[in-house]
Amino acid sequence: MKLAGLKSIENAHEDSVWAATWVPATEDRPALLLTGSLDETVKLWRPDELDLVRTNTGHSLGVAALAAHPSGIIAASSSIDSFVRVFDVDTNATIAVLEAPPSEVWGMQFEPKGTILAVAGGSSASVKLWDTASWRLISTLSIPRPDAPKPSDKTSSKKFVLSVAWSPNGKRLACGSMDGTICVFDVDRSKLLHQLEGHNMPVRSLVFSPVDPRVLFSGSDDGHVNMHDAEGKTLLGSMSGHTSWVLSVDASPDGGAIATGSSDRTVRLWDLKMRAAIQTMSNHNDQVWSVAFRPPGGTGVRAGRLASVSDDKSVSLYDYS
Amino acid sequence: MELEQLKKSVEENPDDSSLQFELGLYLWDNGGDSEKAAEHFVLSAKSDPNNAVAFKYLGHYYSRVTLDLNRAAKCYQRAVLINPNDSDSGEALCDLFDRQGKEILEIAVCRDASEKSPKAFWAFCRLGYIQLHQKKWSEAVQSLQHAIRGYPTMSDLWEALGLAYQRLGMFTAAIKAYGRAIELDETKIFALVESANIFLMLGSYRKGVELFEQALKISPQNISVLYGLASGLLSWSKECINLGAFGWAASLLEDARKAAKASSELASSMSCIWKLHGDIQLTYARCFPWSGGTENSEFTLKTFSDSILSWRSICYSAALSAKASYQRALHLAPWQANVYTDIAITCDLVSSLSDDSDTSSSWKLPEKMVLGALLLECENSEFWVALGCMSDNSALKLHALIRALHLDVSLAVAWAFMGQIFRESDEMKFAKQAFDCARSIDPTLALPWAGSADTYARESTSDEAFESCLRAAQISPLAEFQVGLAWLALLQGNISSPQIFACIEQAVQRSPYYPEPHNLHGLVCEARHNYHTAIASYRLALAAMSIYPESSVKSHAGKVSINLVRSLSKAGRFKESVMECANLKSKGLLDAGGLQIYAFSLWRTGQNDSALSVIRDLAGRISTREKTSIAFPISFICSLLYCISGLDSAITSIQKMPKDFFQSSKISFIVSAIHSLDQSDRLQSIVASTRSYITSQEEIVAMHYLIALSKLLKTGAGDFLGYEKGIAHLSKAIHMYPHSNLIRNLLGYILLAGEGMKDACTASRCCIINVSECANKEGLKSALEVLGGGSVACNVIGNTAPRFSFPTCHCQYLNAPVVVVELQRFLHQEPSNSSVRYLLILNLVQKAREQRFPRQLCRAIERLISVALSDETCSKEGEYKKFQLLLCASEISLQMGNIAESINHARKASSLSLPSSYLFLGHLQLCRAYAANGSTKNMQEEYRACLELKTDSNIGWICLKLIESQYNLEPDANLLEMSLQECSSQKKNSWKEWMAVYSLARGLDSTGKKDFFSAEEFLAQACSLLNSESCLLLCHGAVCMELARQSNDSQFLSLAVKSLSKVQASSLFPLPIVYTLLAQAHGSLGSKEKWEKNLRLEWFCWPPEMRPAEVYFQMHILARQSEDRPETTSGIENYQSPEKWVIRAIHTDPSCRRYWKVLDKLVQHPMS
Repeated sequence: MKLAGLKSIENAHEDSVWAATWVPATEDRPALLLTGSLDETVKLWRPDELDLVRTNTGHSLGVAALAAHPSGIIAASSSIDSFVRVFDVDTNATIAVLEAPPSEVWGMQFEPKGTILAVAGGSSASVKLWDTASWRLISTLSIPRPDAPKPSDKTSSKKFVLSVAWSPNGKRLACGSMDGTICVFDVDRSKLLHQLEGHNMPVRSLVFSPVDPRVLFSGSDDGHVNMHDAEGKTLLGSMSGHTSWVLSVDASPDGGAIATGSSDRTVRLWDLKMRAAIQTMSNHNDQVWSVAFRPPGGTGVRAGRLASVSDDKSVSLYDYS
Repeated sequence: MELEQLKKSVEENPDDSSLQFELGLYLWDNGGDSEKAAEHFVLSAKSDPNNAVAFKYLGHYYSRVTLDLNRAAKCYQRAVLINPNDSDSGEALCDLFDRQGKEILEIAVCRDASEKSPKAFWAFCRLGYIQLHQKKWSEAVQSLQHAIRGYPTMSDLWEALGLAYQRLGMFTAAIKAYGRAIELDETKIFALVESANIFLMLGSYRKGVELFEQALKISPQNISVLYGLASGLLSWSKECINLGAFGWAASLLEDARKAAKASSELASSMSCIWKLHGDIQLTYARCFPWSGGTENSEFTLKTFSDSILSWRSICYSAALSAKASYQRALHLAPWQANVYTDIAITCDLVSSLSDDSDTSSSWKLPEKMVLGALLLECENSEFWVALGCMSDNSALKLHALIRALHLDVSLAVAWAFMGQIFRESDEMKFAKQAFDCARSIDPTLALPWAGSADTYARESTSDEAFESCLRAAQISPLAEFQVGLAWLALLQGNISSPQIFACIEQAVQRSPYYPEPHNLHGLVCEARHNYHTAIASYRLALAAMSIYPESSVKSHAGKVSINLVRSLSKAGRFKESVMECANLKSKGLLDAGGLQIYAFSLWRTGQNDSALSVIRDLAGRISTREKTSIAFPISFICSLLYCISGLDSAITSIQKMPKDFFQSSKISFIVSAIHSLDQSDRLQSIVASTRSYITSQEEIVAMHYLIALSKLLKTGAGDFLGYEKGIAHLSKAIHMYPHSNLIRNLLGYILLAGEGMKDACTASRCCIINVSECANKEGLKSALEVLGGGSVACNVIGNTAPRFSFPTCHCQYLNAPVVVVELQRFLHQEPSNSSVRYLLILNLVQKAREQRFPRQLCRAIERLISVALSDETCSKEGEYKKFQLLLCASEISLQMGNIAESINHARKASSLSLPSSYLFLGHLQLCRAYAANGSTKNMQEEYRACLELKTDSNIGWICLKLIESQYNLEPDANLLEMSLQECSSQKKNSWKEWMAVYSLARGLDSTGKKDFFSAEEFLAQACSLLNSESCLLLCHGAVCMELARQSNDSQFLSLAVKSLSKVQASSLFPLPIVYTLLAQAHGSLGSKEKWEKNLRLEWFCWPPEMRPAEVYFQMHILARQSEDRPETTSGIENYQSPEKWVIRAIHTDPSCRRYWKVLDKLVQHPMS
């Protein structure tokens, strides 16, 4: 397995690019790449030449998170002021605006079947679940306050939820916090099952293995990529190599590798069998905020693709094989 | 009837072959006389020798009725020869040959048919099966693939194809073929089992297990399926063990044991089943994790002991079960040598799990069993390695390993264990050679890496030792490797790494009875600031020491206890820390570090006298001979004395200390800090002497920081700090060390705190923008906090496009536009930083104010404020921030027209527990809201509340004055002025500026009331106080122009010209409208040339996209003047004709009737 650079757009946005996600293919069109930026816009790109399809405006502050519905028809974008807009990908029509004051919005992800949108609630120490049929808030998964606060904590002892990830079967929801812990919820029962430990710095990104619903990968400010047994509460391993924060983690569709983007300006490809980085891409000039593998599907699509976006305003596309 | 007709037809046409055949077929199919039917078939065949069907039925007759196999074969062969696609004849013929054992003939028939006709799929099918039987896999694949084209939904064919692929090693293709067979027929046990086995071979254990489970549903009593399922689960569990997921592995092994048990019940006489069962139980005994450690809230010695015993009994039971299973396997197949070694390994494990020590025999039971294996296969090198591992006799161990290497010199595991023997004998040279040899042969073996780590550690090359041990732990997560890795990480100082955390957590699960894993687990958690888990781990370590005393040394208990009290102290559990320290002291195990913890904990629990006693004890232990180690204890003593007894006691103690104690930079900082608080300067001489030991640049910078703080404290008056002295010192320091962020941040902070008029801009210039670094709070404030605060204080955000205002402040060109973007960037990077969110909100409110509160931006600000207010913070600073946020929310609501919400927010702000000077601002906001709501009575109440509360904020008084004047609230005319003067006089630096702003406010108020004479007086006063402020001069000039218009007095024109000229001179860039006013003034004074010049200059003041219509209209006037004097053709007005200038004015503002009238005149009466 390896990465090869395909295309790179130098000034894809007017300012830092913070979020990237793939919109799955539909019957009418192939998969598209969505990017969100500090310049308050969301852009739509057509692979492999990264042709700009459209620029969506309307956010008042930087776009911090993006999520694409598994159907490929709709997507959601959120900005720093916690404004969430759900829109039709092809027409840019606004489908819903999600607001539950004083909710906070950071990481977002659609449930694999597309019935729920999970939103990491930041300082509310909870994850909000929105029904994608009626766009109503159906549940709030709260993380209990720790039993005893740490004296070294000068601020609140509540957890700050930063990232969310669904298991492939949609039964488990993991969320990462600023204090390094990862909470695993049983979604059907809206119950906190347990916490996974291993990081002691913010967990920026989470992803479940697509082939094994027990395995969860996490990236953290401590520079490590951890592999957890999400059911057995065991830290299986920790992979080091990045020299700064690991900002984004994504698993390849075949489950054999993961890609990471880091504050050290590199994109790394990790072989899960060897548990080591087998390739490092250094074409970005600033921290890499998001990496995303293209989901499987689409007519005639066999080759894998990985996209990365950076504070240097660029969007890069790699061939994964 | 039909039969009769056929007979008549045949009689009439005896030579018609088809009629003969039809009659025969009728007789054959309808149970007629088969012999007669055969006669007709013969007649038909004779008439038409190419009638293949007739021959087929003759073949059926001979093979089924008369049993004349030879004739049947000939007929079938004839039929196939005529029509190779005749599957009935072909199959029948091959069946005959098959029954007679004539495989060669069968193959020949199939091959001939397949070669003649590509559509003879029966032949390809038959040929494929035969080739499969003959193990000709490649040929079988080709035949079967061709056959599938004819029979695509035949499950057997797909299954056969899968088998052929499997034998060829083409596993992916085999899986696909088997998958297709299963799709067509879900009951294909063979396909399910074989594809499952392939997945296991490829390492996809989950998929393999799933397929076995699927097969088990179809055939619950199938031994092959049960055996395969158990094997798959066992393999999967081993993979989990290598990952360190012991709990996961244990659950898989439980399922595997059930499957193996079920298969053993079905076939108890199969040795391999018992072997498998033994493997499962042995693996379970080795990997079952211990639990119930730090998760138990109630820890007692008994619960720990019980959990250990429970865990051990489970492992022991599994080991015994494995032992029994292996013995059953051996009993069934005594010739299986490997089972002997399995029993040996299991006996070794059983003895280690139990406390039995068998010394009755000279040979251990495991040794005996390995010898049994060697008796059967003396040339098996692996058995010799096993003997080397099992034996306790060092000579025998070495001999066995050497023997193994004689048999196989490339046996890496033998080299590894030989290295282990040398290592344990401290023969490191030989050990290193052996480990290197093993590692070069097989890099995936863990033991050589671990052994190399030990050799590196002894050679003090810790980096290489750590890397080697890390590799060993990753390959095979054994507790010994993981504990070693943690120790190495401790030496290297990176014990908080998640890699170490994972290793030590797994080690605790596998070796809970040793104190070492627990102690290391505590150290790891402590390094990660997880003090509660660390405390629990240390207590577990102490419990393990007490329960299993032979596994530890007594002196280590003291070290673990010191770890425990340190964590208790850090966790804030000071009472427990005091108890533990007292216990240690009574045992004489409390060292200097422990005494410090003891004193600190006593102080935190309020036992100051006891703390002082411990401090004296600690001081008595300090020896000046160890100068490198006294810095921290002395610093601690001084700090704690200050905290307990106050400044005087600390100073007295310092003065009594020997001079030798102050020979370090650390102590210098402590003494200097205490000196900063001493107004009498009693430590001046000591401080001067200790500062000579500060040598590094970082220390020098830090000392300058401390000196600046000292000057702030000592040169202040009353409640105010001495800003001037502090700023002066920091300015000098920053000149010497321009790259110090510590100095820069403090200087910026002090400039902001001083509230000087120009200092906000200067503060912003002090800080360096670097998102990745500006959050590092080295001092009181971070660079981003100074920058964000300065940006708000500057009152100008700085828009790029479009321009909403023309600020007169200079600093916007440096960094002001960047602040909002940088704050967003930083908030995205550190989302939980409430300070950054707070600053972002304040800056956005300023931006909204400047842009006249656009709705979308206001809604965004509302959302941010809502989130910020929901974030609970209990500190005093948080209360003030909440106050500010509520005022911002109130202002946004007010501007959005939601007055009720605005009042609600302001009321909440006014009810917070804050000093009166802050609450004044809350009530001021209520005044504004009630005024907007038209509630005069409430407004008056809030106005009186403001007067009672008072504030030290100048802008507060000025705003209140404006409200008072606008709504005629004058209960006491002089009270506000006196309050403002009192407030301004307390801050001498900015007195002039604030009085100027006050005069400006009064002037604007007078202007609103059309009292231009009073306005001119106020504005003149403001200009005299602050003579370089552009906006003051602009206002004064404009008012003078109005007065000149009203009174027709040229003196006001002169004043206007004077002020307006100063505006442009002091502005960083020309301000619009000023030149228009100047042109008007000069025109009124009779200077036409100056009039034209200023009108042209006005044109260039405006950005092109913002020019108002009036500017274009003015150009038309100039153009008409130019037309009267053709010699002047170089001005901007000559670019277009007067008509076109007017048209552009109309295009910009079509609603102005004046422009249309002028255009009409120009068109009707063109200049000639």
